Amino acid sequence: MRTFWVLLKKEVKAFFVSPVAFIVLALLMVLNGFSFRAALTVLETAPSEGSIVTWTFQPLWFWLSYFFIFPLLTMRLFAEEKKLGTLETLFTAPVSTWQVVGAKFLAALIIYCILWLPGMGNFALLKWISGGVVEVPGGALKGSAVILFVMGLFNLAVGCFASSLTSNQIVAAIISFTTSLLHFLLGIFITNIGKKIPAAFADIVNYIASVEHIRTFTNGLIDTRPIVYYVSLAALFLALTHQVVEFRRWRP
Amino acid sequence: MIDVQDLTKQYAGRVAVDHISFRVEPGEIVGFLGPNGAGKSTTMRILSGFMPPTSGRAMVAGHDVFRDSLNVRRKVGYMPENAPLYTDMKVKEYLHFRGELKGLRGRDLRVRTGEAMDLCAITDVRRRLIGNLSKGYKQRVALADALIHRPPLLILDEPTNGLDPTQIRHVRELLRSLRPAHTILLSTHILSEVELTCDRVIMLHHGRIRASDTPRNLARQLRATSLVRLELQGDGRISEKLEALPGVRKVIVEKPDGAWQCYSLRVESQNDIREAILDVATASRWKIRELHRQLPTLEDVFVELAASEEGKKR
Ligand SMILES: Nc1ncnc2c1ncn2[C@@H]1O[C@H](COP(=O)(O)OP(=O)(O)O)[C@@H](O)[C@H]1O
Ligand SMILES: [Mg+2]
Repeated sequence: MRTFWVLLKKEVKAFFVSPVAFIVLALLMVLNGFSFRAALTVLETAPSEGSIVTWTFQPLWFWLSYFFIFPLLTMRLFAEEKKLGTLETLFTAPVSTWQVVGAKFLAALIIYCILWLPGMGNFALLKWISGGVVEVPGGALKGSAVILFVMGLFNLAVGCFASSLTSNQIVAAIISFTTSLLHFLLGIFITNIGKKIPAAFADIVNYIASVEHIRTFTNGLIDTRPIVYYVSLAALFLALTHQVVEFRRWRP
Repeated sequence: MIDVQDLTKQYAGRVAVDHISFRVEPGEIVGFLGPNGAGKSTTMRILSGFMPPTSGRAMVAGHDVFRDSLNVRRKVGYMPENAPLYTDMKVKEYLHFRGELKGLRGRDLRVRTGEAMDLCAITDVRRRLIGNLSKGYKQRVALADALIHRPPLLILDEPTNGLDPTQIRHVRELLRSLRPAHTILLSTHILSEVELTCDRVIMLHHGRIRASDTPRNLARQLRATSLVRLELQGDGRISEKLEALPGVRKVIVEKPDGAWQCYSLRVESQNDIREAILDVATASRWKIRELHRQLPTLEDVFVELAASEEGKKR
């Protein structure tokens, strides 16, 4: 356990030594800012369905830019160690592969959560500035936070896996970005054809379609099925990462 | 301390280490010697628990390197080839991290970090970024990392690679000073290194052990030639008389130094022909001012070994 903390501390620190964390933070703040402003504009011009939260998190362009975060956060994790050759020093110290994979993943997750704080702060700010006139629905906010968190789990795990495959960070970034985006687009595709297929399929479709999840969660409905879906996918990709890192120890 | 039996490692079907067996006793400094690609690094990676052997067994400090890898790693200080380090960490920060990872805590950690930095003479760069250090310093940071937790066994892969002569001497003295408490297995392709530092040499070539002995014995035992240098004044057919001596393979006439004539003799090293030369000199009334025998260096042994390998292949 102690070893895990030592590793975690080092990984978290590494984010702030390189400019990555700050670049992602800036990116996310710009993204959030635009999205938030766009949502305000919608609400200003005409009465509409949905709250400020829904309008902030539902636009498609928000999600498309959102997937840039994950490669930036994860591409370094294993690829850099491979390039430097430090996996050799790391794994000749008394550490287990799970401790290393877990520490790297958790570090990325911690940074990811920290990065969302200013975005969430926007809502508090709005409430404060408007003196409580603008209603910020708590349920929708909670739902948004949950969906951002579990989708983060999944996409960060994909990023970890991509990074373990190569010693080239750019290649890792491309693999992770493509996988995340494909999964998202697949969801949109399925939702669209889903309208033309029998209702029996619709249930299955709802498991995969991220856009649907986002719609329900940002409206304040917390459904456990997508949560289970993302958490198990994240676990799967972490297990795959573990296998790739352990590969050298496989006996023929 | 190390017990290796029938160890084999294949990379994708290519044999890198081929059924080797050897032992290293506690307190010994043993040198792995061999040209690039001989399988030194591969063997060391297996011994340090980084990867498993394809077949065979290796025990380190009583633990199996594959099944009991974590315990092996606690007892080994390993320095990989080319000293891989986190380039964006500072020296002291890095050693601190490594010490903690290896189980050092609190005061112990601080003291040992300081000690390791002093031993390896890197205290003056402790606040610098590792990425900005010269190769020599990086090498010594890696060495400090290997010995920070005072492991009973040090496995060092080419520890003096990239150091200048002063630094090499410093590392050599450092290793010798660690001797009573630490067993050391180091690898190198520089022969003089092994001659000066090690109690025993294990010579690897194409994944097999070619020889294992003390550096002196190895040089003596292998049929390398020694060189005898001779400066004399006299007349008569000197080279012919010298060539007639037993064990002389070749007489090389060198540039004379004034009235003194200079010769170099290539002699089979098990014969010491200096007395025979003196006898001939007395009989022929030569005046001798130098008679010196140079034992074969490991360099010579090595060249001969490699040449005989090549010969066998053809
Ligand atoms: N990761 C690897 N994959 C494939 N072949 C390798 C790998 N590492 C080493 N080899 C091969 O194994 C042989 C032994 O290499 P190595 O142990 O590094 O030798 P040395 O350290 O004595 O120079 C070489 O022929 C090398 O090409
Ligand atoms: Mg090597």
